[in-house]
Amino acid sequence: MSRYSRINTIWRKELIDILRDRRTIFAMVLVPIILYPALMLGSLQALEAQHSQFLADRYEIIVPSEAAGKWLRRVLDTDAVRRPLPEEVEGGTLSESDSPQDVARAAQTRPAGAEPPLRREAPLIEEGRGTRGAAGPRAAVRGAPPEYRITVRESYPHALFHGLRAALREGLRGGMSDAGADEAAGVLAGTIWRNAWIADYAGPLLAGTVHVGVIVEGDAAALSGGGNVAVRVVMDQTEIRSSIATEGLLGVLDRMNERLVEARMRRANIERSYLHPLHVESLSVATPEKVGGSVLGQIVPLILIIMTITGAIYPAIDLTAGERERGTLETLMVAPVATVELIAGKFIVVTMVSLISAGLNLASIGGTIWLGGLGKLLTRGQEVVIPLSALPWVLLALVPLAVMFGAVLLAVCSFARSFKEAQNYVMPVMVAAMIPAVVGILPGTRLEGPLLVMPVANIVVLTRELFVGRFDPTAIVWVIASTSLYAGAAVAVAAKLFGQEAVLFADSGSVRTIFQRRYFTPRRVPTAASAMLVLGLVFPLNFFIQRALGESPLFHQRVEYLYALWAVFLLLFVGVPIFAAKYMRVTERTALRVGGASPLAWGAALCLGLSTWVLAPAWLAYQQSFMQIPPDQLHALEVATAWLQDIPLWLIVLVLAVTAGVCEEVFFRGYVLSGLRPAIGPVAAILVVALAFGVYHNSAHRLILTSGLGLMLGLLALRSGSIWPSVLVHVLHNGLTITASRSDGLKPWLAQSGWTDADGMPVPGLLMAAGVLTMVGLGLCLALREPARVGEDRIVATAGVRSASPA
Amino acid sequence: MRGRVLPIRLRRAESARSRRDARRGVPPTRNPTLDTRHGCLMIRTEKLVKTFPAPTGEPKRAVNEVSFEVRAGEVYGLLGPNGAGKTTTLRMISGLLRPTAGRVFIQDRDVTDEPEQVKQQIGYLTANTGLYVRLSVSEFLHYFATLYGMDRAQARQRIGALAERLRLTDFMELRCGALSTGQRQRTNIARALLADPPILVLDEPTLGLDVLSNRIMLEFIRTQAEAGRAILLSTHALDEIEAMCRRIGLIHNGRMIAEGTLDELRRLSGRERLSDVFLELVGAHEPVFAD
Repeated sequence: MSRYSRINTIWRKELIDILRDRRTIFAMVLVPIILYPALMLGSLQALEAQHSQFLADRYEIIVPSEAAGKWLRRVLDTDAVRRPLPEEVEGGTLSESDSPQDVARAAQTRPAGAEPPLRREAPLIEEGRGTRGAAGPRAAVRGAPPEYRITVRESYPHALFHGLRAALREGLRGGMSDAGADEAAGVLAGTIWRNAWIADYAGPLLAGTVHVGVIVEGDAAALSGGGNVAVRVVMDQTEIRSSIATEGLLGVLDRMNERLVEARMRRANIERSYLHPLHVESLSVATPEKVGGSVLGQIVPLILIIMTITGAIYPAIDLTAGERERGTLETLMVAPVATVELIAGKFIVVTMVSLISAGLNLASIGGTIWLGGLGKLLTRGQEVVIPLSALPWVLLALVPLAVMFGAVLLAVCSFARSFKEAQNYVMPVMVAAMIPAVVGILPGTRLEGPLLVMPVANIVVLTRELFVGRFDPTAIVWVIASTSLYAGAAVAVAAKLFGQEAVLFADSGSVRTIFQRRYFTPRRVPTAASAMLVLGLVFPLNFFIQRALGESPLFHQRVEYLYALWAVFLLLFVGVPIFAAKYMRVTERTALRVGGASPLAWGAALCLGLSTWVLAPAWLAYQQSFMQIPPDQLHALEVATAWLQDIPLWLIVLVLAVTAGVCEEVFFRGYVLSGLRPAIGPVAAILVVALAFGVYHNSAHRLILTSGLGLMLGLLALRSGSIWPSVLVHVLHNGLTITASRSDGLKPWLAQSGWTDADGMPVPGLLMAAGVLTMVGLGLCLALREPARVGEDRIVATAGVRSASPA
Repeated sequence: MRGRVLPIRLRRAESARSRRDARRGVPPTRNPTLDTRHGCLMIRTEKLVKTFPAPTGEPKRAVNEVSFEVRAGEVYGLLGPNGAGKTTTLRMISGLLRPTAGRVFIQDRDVTDEPEQVKQQIGYLTANTGLYVRLSVSEFLHYFATLYGMDRAQARQRIGALAERLRLTDFMELRCGALSTGQRQRTNIARALLADPPILVLDEPTLGLDVLSNRIMLEFIRTQAEAGRAILLSTHALDEIEAMCRRIGLIHNGRMIAEGTLDELRRLSGRERLSDVFLELVGAHEPVFAD
């Protein structure tokens, strides 16, 4: 039976098993199918119900005087949008003939030749349009005010205000002019009066028996004559009823204001446009599809991510911890099945369930929106089209995410002895996933820079961009590639962990043995897994730190950048491997290959170190013929490195040649190469390390060059058994490349003695010589024999125990 | 015992070929070299060692240079107190754990080199082996039959025959979760016998079973031995050992401290009752509470 047909058998059985579990069906199928329609339509209906409830309600207003109450009543009753009561239609009670009905009547009775009445084009005050969410019913109520009941509250008779003002005026008269005292007394008394009323209203407002308090300052009767009145509306903003009553009242007052302005303009014979010297309007080019996509993109990606992860949680726990809890894992392991086939089968099912879950959620969201007109609610009546065609693409983008979380969750749950324990482990994963997801959901986050490779966040943003129909192929490739990389790493870790005997059989040693130092057996070289782990840790760390350094104003194009770089090199490329070696009980000397080398190796190093710096620029120039660097990138590179010209040469050489050379060799040709060499063989190890070295330099057009250099360095380090010769090559290469490009270095001398041409390019003679020297160096490398490893990779103290590590 | 007389080099080449075949997906030939005649050597362990990581950094030896042999048609009992290393030994023999040192041969096949081929030859059973509660008995058996490399027709035929013999037919379509302990045990026995293995490895097969289930199990062991299977069982139930086992290996603290037939062990210890033999050999025949 082939491996693939066994995996096939396993995943099909696991799928049947997991689908028969009611909990899976509930989480995977029922939740999305019922939840969204129920939630969305339910909340829509609840909102509408609440809205109509709010409109049907009668609200309490308190006013400070009989006169204010009467005036307010009149304003409310003559409001243009209010459904007029039958008795009011007949006998107009308005003194100023400016209700719409009155305007119409006036138009009919207007003598010929008189100016036409003003047409209501647009309200002077925008009526809360464009607001969203919770403000919805409140905004709508502006255009449709509810019923109000006005109660007069006579805590402070108006005479009190006049008395107060008179007393203040008397008091102030001594120190200033009469007019000044008059004005100051007015302001002071007004403030005291107002605050007294606010304090007075606070009681019933906070108790909720009253919804709005109104303070009217000034003579309402003077309005028709051109006077001004201050109307203050006191409310409790934390009470929804108070807010709604206030919004409605403000709408009424706004319209009243509008009517008064119109009446005054008509009286003064002013055109409406006079009040609007500037006509301002914003016009959006967004198609209805894009508006819909943007609305969808605000929340749907987050829901999808959560649902993709939640979909994977249950099967991941059930197929690992659950299987162990039920005692079936041992049964399964005695069948002729390899662990890797088991984990592959389980992994397929977890990913599949997670994707089915995500797909059903997506379909349900799409269906709910399509059927239920949810878009209308979200966009508040704007014309939108939900871009349903984006949904399959979104689902496709979720595949690597599901793969990644399937593997992460399987790895995490493998440790658990029981279902409950596994659930505890899953929580931190969930939280860890939510943080970048929320970063991705922040408005204005674009798919660029570090976000391209930030796990989870990049998928969130990609999903959002897919919804608004923005397809940047390069970005998509980055997102998918990086997520696939993380997914692959997670799968590898999961497979590695699941195969551990301590994980498979709880009684054959605690899982602590996998992590705790005291359980580790001393080794001469690191395991391949720990080498990959260190590589996987240092890579993104280096990427983010260097980027942060480059953008921070403290370091950007300043000499401090070099100091910081120096520290980063030491910390990441030397500190991390040494710490890893110490923690995992690996002998540092053999792990980092810091032993001595033969004279032949030093000869090879000298040949390579003295020649490669000549060949590198020639190669880059040749590369231009088939792989052009975009001119803007070239320019950016020049700008980015121009500042280095002002930095002393010795400092640059110290950091970028000596420190970089030593540290990168310790890391790449030391720890990582030592770890990979026994596991995947010399050729593959050199290739992998060289490629990692190339990618690490983070420059697409130098990738071939740096990887090629990495091949030479790897060969030399492996054959010589020491990193020091490759350190020499690295330091010489970097150092000579830098000094050859500096006018305070070798540049003038090279030009003078005719080694380089006018462009600073090496002349053919020098190139030939360097080529020969490189060949000699490589030949010497091949002539070296890789030193036989002394003893086993594992250091076993007791005799008679066969080492488990493959030779 | 054809395999044993093969020159070493040839044997290596053979196992390398079968490993290559396994990689390419060539189905392993069933029992290609296994001679299952009565009295043939079936299991042989050579100085088997298993160490587990310990907090001291010096690994703890759960099994320490254990060597013994089991022949076709015999019931071999591994006897020892809790934590003596019985389960670990059986797991290494069945290919569940990788020996730290030493070797396990199933006839001439090294378990470490060819775990999948060896697992094909072994029926492994414990008292608390779990079943997939959401699969029916029939689905459960068919699943394992597929894993053992049978095609559909073979599986149907084999499962039908086993169901008949173990009286599973009444509950074949029932979910495993709904079975009684006895039914569950019979299902598990059927699972262990699916591939018609010449070797049965039973880890404390009667632990925690009631009288009825216990009888089923003991009867099963006896009939299987009579049918010519090599049976290796671990237990600390002395009466079972006395009743069933032809030969006994005494394990204590990871070491095989004595081995032989019951009579040999009696002679060795000078005691008559097996419990006294056991205590004498383990070296714990002093009173627990000194007056």
